[in-house]
Amino acid sequence: MVATLLIALPFLGAFLIPLVALASKKLSHYIPAVVMLTNLGIALSLLPQVMNAPIVISLSGWSAPIAINFVVGPLGLGLAILISFIGFLVSVYGISYIHEEPKEKYHMLVLTLLTGATGMVLTGDIFNLFVFFEILSLSSYALTGYNRDRGGTEAAIKYLIQGSIGSSFILIGIALLYGMTGTLNMADIAAHVAGADPTLLFMAMSLLIVGFGVEAAIFPLNAWLPDAHSSAPSSVSAILSGIAIETGAYAVARIVYTVFDGHGIMLVLSILGVITLLIGEMSAFRQKDDIKRLLAYSSVGQMGLIMLAFGIASDAGVFAALFQLVSHTLAKALLFLASGYIIYRVGSKKLSALAGLGRKMPFTGAMIAVAVLSLVGVPPFAGFMSKFSIVRAALAQHSASYTGLIVLVLVATVIEVGYFMKLLQILFFTEAETEGRVKELPLSALIPITILAALIIAIGVYPHMISTVLQHAASGLVQRSAYIQSVLGAL
Amino acid sequence: MTTGNPMMYVGAVGLIMIGLFTVLSKRNLIKIIVGLTLLDTGVNLLLVAIGYIHNRTAPILTQAHADPSKMVDPVPQALVLTAIVIGLGVTALALALAIRVYGHYKTLDTRKIRGLKW
Repeated sequence: MVATLLIALPFLGAFLIPLVALASKKLSHYIPAVVMLTNLGIALSLLPQVMNAPIVISLSGWSAPIAINFVVGPLGLGLAILISFIGFLVSVYGISYIHEEPKEKYHMLVLTLLTGATGMVLTGDIFNLFVFFEILSLSSYALTGYNRDRGGTEAAIKYLIQGSIGSSFILIGIALLYGMTGTLNMADIAAHVAGADPTLLFMAMSLLIVGFGVEAAIFPLNAWLPDAHSSAPSSVSAILSGIAIETGAYAVARIVYTVFDGHGIMLVLSILGVITLLIGEMSAFRQKDDIKRLLAYSSVGQMGLIMLAFGIASDAGVFAALFQLVSHTLAKALLFLASGYIIYRVGSKKLSALAGLGRKMPFTGAMIAVAVLSLVGVPPFAGFMSKFSIVRAALAQHSASYTGLIVLVLVATVIEVGYFMKLLQILFFTEAETEGRVKELPLSALIPITILAALIIAIGVYPHMISTVLQHAASGLVQRSAYIQSVLGAL
Repeated sequence: MTTGNPMMYVGAVGLIMIGLFTVLSKRNLIKIIVGLTLLDTGVNLLLVAIGYIHNRTAPILTQAHADPSKMVDPVPQALVLTAIVIGLGVTALALALAIRVYGHYKTLDTRKIRGLKW
């Protein structure tokens, strides 16, 4: 039952924050970091057990497919570890970064967002998935507009409108599925879909993919992302870019692989991924002034890459997708966290204002270079290993369509190199307009950034550190009969 | 498993379409938010319609030995309750943001709210 704490603790923490804030405002700001660290410990301690067999928990004393259940498998737990890890680092960063009052509301919303994300990856019930998804999206709408400035408010309302149309689609999809199968348990639905009406089934799957695709920023559903990620406070951008869109991608993969066994849709998913990738990278290349917008468009591109890899319906493909997901999360969280304080120090989001900054704050500059090189895919960083495994998995399919898609991926990578090298050039090789050193980042920002950079290098040099877990997670997603068996058999 | 009146589905899907159309075609933020709530209501009606079984009553247990074979499927109704609460939260947040947008731009016309590139 200890696995339920992964969801219960952050929720409890979130509602504790306003109460603690009545007594001591300062103390309440430390709650998210403490909670996420505890979560990380719990999740890591469960890992050896979960690698053997998934833990299935059914709530409220009901049995079989009736109860709401949590399935703590290697995939869910692996993502939960990632979420609590990034959540912890961002919470540490947020303690000193957030200046706008009321700070306790910020910390509370961050915790509810993280609860939603953790719940989404651990739940085994499709309606529960929707509820956690709504918790995640509502908190992220509110956090996007947290600064109350023009851009943030406008981005938040845009995000809200597009996001709630998406959630309505999800609910219609769930309604159709329930009408066909009479159950909400994902494993039970999966066991029943083979006998259902294919037309209705296809409608339900499309609705669910479109709904979760809004959060996963699949083209053409990604109009909200560049605005929201660039206008939100930087710590929020790091969570949105490092956690929120990844859980959206997880939901799409879970729906396609486990619930529907949609082998016919895989190539479509890959093609959508490549289009997303190209659009994202080209828009990022066009960005001339706003560094956060550039990073946001790069996130769109990376999500496309992850979707492409999910579409390669093999163990190796899903493994590559998850690897890419991890390396993107680490690198993009680092970049957003670093850029947050840089923007604060320089007083401008403009790329031109960053000229020569890498030499003025050498340590931060070096960390940014690590993340950028990892995103581009230069060895020995994590991004190289993940991109390499995507290419290998796609070529192992021995099909002309996937080989063609990989060619497009390489083209997109060249574009990516183009704009990221431009960023590095501005940071390191452009003469600064003003003389003198700029103060390095405060410790609460330097520590998370250093940890992230160290992990990027460590995973790049020694990928076995995470590859065993990812391989288990990938086979857990591909082998759906084993998932169905473990959930329905264990109950 | 459903034997409901087809008109219920037509009504629910019609409401969903009206909501979608309102969101997509209107330029006023408040009207867009009204469209979102229409969309929500349509989905809720669809859920209830899916759980409806002809000639049965609401699944409310008033006495100890109620006969479950005379009741409709309670699960969609539980889902709708949850969905209504979520819809309330979303609408409240949307209206709060709309007020703030008005504070910044002095208009609710989405054609004039273009601080960011659409």
